[in-house]
Amino acid sequence: MSDVTFKPKRKSGPIKFATIGAWLISLLFFLPIAWIVSTALKPKGSIVVSPPVFFFRPTFDNIIEALSFDNTLDYFTHSVIYSFGSVSLAILVSYLAAYSFSRFKPAGTDFLMFLLLSTRFVPAAAFVIPYFQLFNLLRLKDTYIGLIAFYTMFAIPFSVWILKGFLDGVSQRFDETGLVYGASRFHIMFKVILPQVKPGLVAAFVFNILFVWNEFLYNFQLGGAKTYGIPVGLFTGSTKGGGIDWAYVASIGTLYVLPLVVVIYVFQKYLLVGLTFGTVRGEV
Amino acid sequence: MAEYALEVKGLTKSYGSNVVLDNLSFSAGMDDFSVICGKPNNGKSVLVRTIMGLETIDAGSIIVRGEDATQAAAGDRNIGYVPQSFALYPHYSVLENIEYPLVLAKASKATKTESVARVAELLKITDLLAKKPEQLSGGQKQRVAIARGLAKATDVYVLDDPLVGLDFKLRERLIDDLRKTQEELKVAFVYMTSDPLEALSLARTVMILANGKIVQQDSLDVVYDLPNSIASMNSLGFPEANIFPGELSGTTFTSVLGNTKVKVDSVASKVVAGLRPEGISIDSVAGKTDAKVGLLENLGSEFAVYFEVNGINLVTVVSRTDDESLAKLDSKTVSLSYNPEALVLFDADTGMRIGQGVSNV
Repeated sequence: MSDVTFKPKRKSGPIKFATIGAWLISLLFFLPIAWIVSTALKPKGSIVVSPPVFFFRPTFDNIIEALSFDNTLDYFTHSVIYSFGSVSLAILVSYLAAYSFSRFKPAGTDFLMFLLLSTRFVPAAAFVIPYFQLFNLLRLKDTYIGLIAFYTMFAIPFSVWILKGFLDGVSQRFDETGLVYGASRFHIMFKVILPQVKPGLVAAFVFNILFVWNEFLYNFQLGGAKTYGIPVGLFTGSTKGGGIDWAYVASIGTLYVLPLVVVIYVFQKYLLVGLTFGTVRGEV
Repeated sequence: MAEYALEVKGLTKSYGSNVVLDNLSFSAGMDDFSVICGKPNNGKSVLVRTIMGLETIDAGSIIVRGEDATQAAAGDRNIGYVPQSFALYPHYSVLENIEYPLVLAKASKATKTESVARVAELLKITDLLAKKPEQLSGGQKQRVAIARGLAKATDVYVLDDPLVGLDFKLRERLIDDLRKTQEELKVAFVYMTSDPLEALSLARTVMILANGKIVQQDSLDVVYDLPNSIASMNSLGFPEANIFPGELSGTTFTSVLGNTKVKVDSVASKVVAGLRPEGISIDSVAGKTDAKVGLLENLGSEFAVYFEVNGINLVTVVSRTDDESLAKLDSKTVSLSYNPEALVLFDADTGMRIGQGVSNV
């Protein structure tokens, strides 16, 4: 026994290698964003050249020019209004629904939950034409009400799923204690339980903002000049002058990802918890 | 003032074919410390939840302060409540948790401040008021939960096994605190517990919950000394009472412990005897019963000593300071004697009491 010697594991070797690997892979994922941002900051003359230019004096000319186009600011305003409007509404509705599913457990809850998610099984393109006709018929085309209603409907299934997971993790004893002390159901929902599922609310909010913010097809088909968002603006604006305006694409693209970066950065703490879908549970 | 703080009549609750509460009735007096003692899975939680209005019932009525509250909403019953799980709101401070019932009752600021100070003082948690529940130990959380339950002044309180899972010393202290609190406030406490020792140290009136019924309700002494059924006898005291078979002929009961003259109220074809551990004592090294000494369990101030007599297991308790008895245990077999008046006879089929011991024969 005593002659067996243990070689202490070198701490730095393999771990450092793994870290470098992780960084390299992450950077690979980051490349498109790096390309967009760097292109946006390049002088016009060095954007589409061979060999590519890696070192240049950054300029805001492209971004300022892109912003000076007639519709650019409108696209942003539209995007912000229908994205944040619909997702906020969806979170509220989903919270009420998820609370009911979690607490009152109506007959067939599991099936209803499945049914809810099944609306997302069908490819979006399959419904474009019926929705187009429906929106024309109801005079909802190119209105905020129409777009917000549509995106709200789209954001609800995932939100309900995420929130129900979180609510199931919050003991019903909290609700009951409140009831016994004379609290109303609404008080319990919003003052007692809601603060305890904040990470779930944030996770649901961010996931759905990512989705609606990036949605192109329905905005293009159901929207119009008064409600087109950035994806549509980017698409239509990039070929305005005949060729492809890479400076415009890159500038708008940069501005486009900025709000998402900020939102995710601010809520990162909650998101990490949110990504576990409330499965890490603690009893009280 | 109503005679009873809480009356439950014919309460029945079943889940599917599983009858949890079976025509259960009891009453808890005003100013009384009533303890409902039942082993786990005997419907204790369901009973609490029905009393509090958190669960619907199939039949029966719940009367609070003489008024029928069977259909009243949970919040309208005005019963102070300490839940078994603390259910302290994690996003509130201790202070906010305690004053929560008062906030809901729209109490004035002065009332809130005064009530919180009072219960915090009572439960010795004044220095914890600014903390968040996650910063508290289990015992502190429990005391905060009790304080919250007591914060809103009312005259009927239901405490659902609030000391379960706490360490021994803390329980002792909280038991003491609770009893003093109840005496000081002069209110009705209905206290649920699954711990037979806790019941013994708290109860003035004790009710035994078994098989979905209150099988016996009486003063602690009566329930302890003269249990009306095997279930009742088993629910109180630790170690659990000895239940052993024997033959009854006329007024003589014969068992492994010898012959006992008994007083019988009714007849039964098969009879078993119940005898609490302290009813048995170690007599001598050699004698009429041939009891093999088994396990010695250290309970702190006393030992539980297990014996085997002709295939029947018996247990008694010996004080730690009783050197004489302890010395006798060194031999492998001893003779046991018992207090015949502590012997209770049950009908083996129904489990109900049919008589009791009078003297040795």
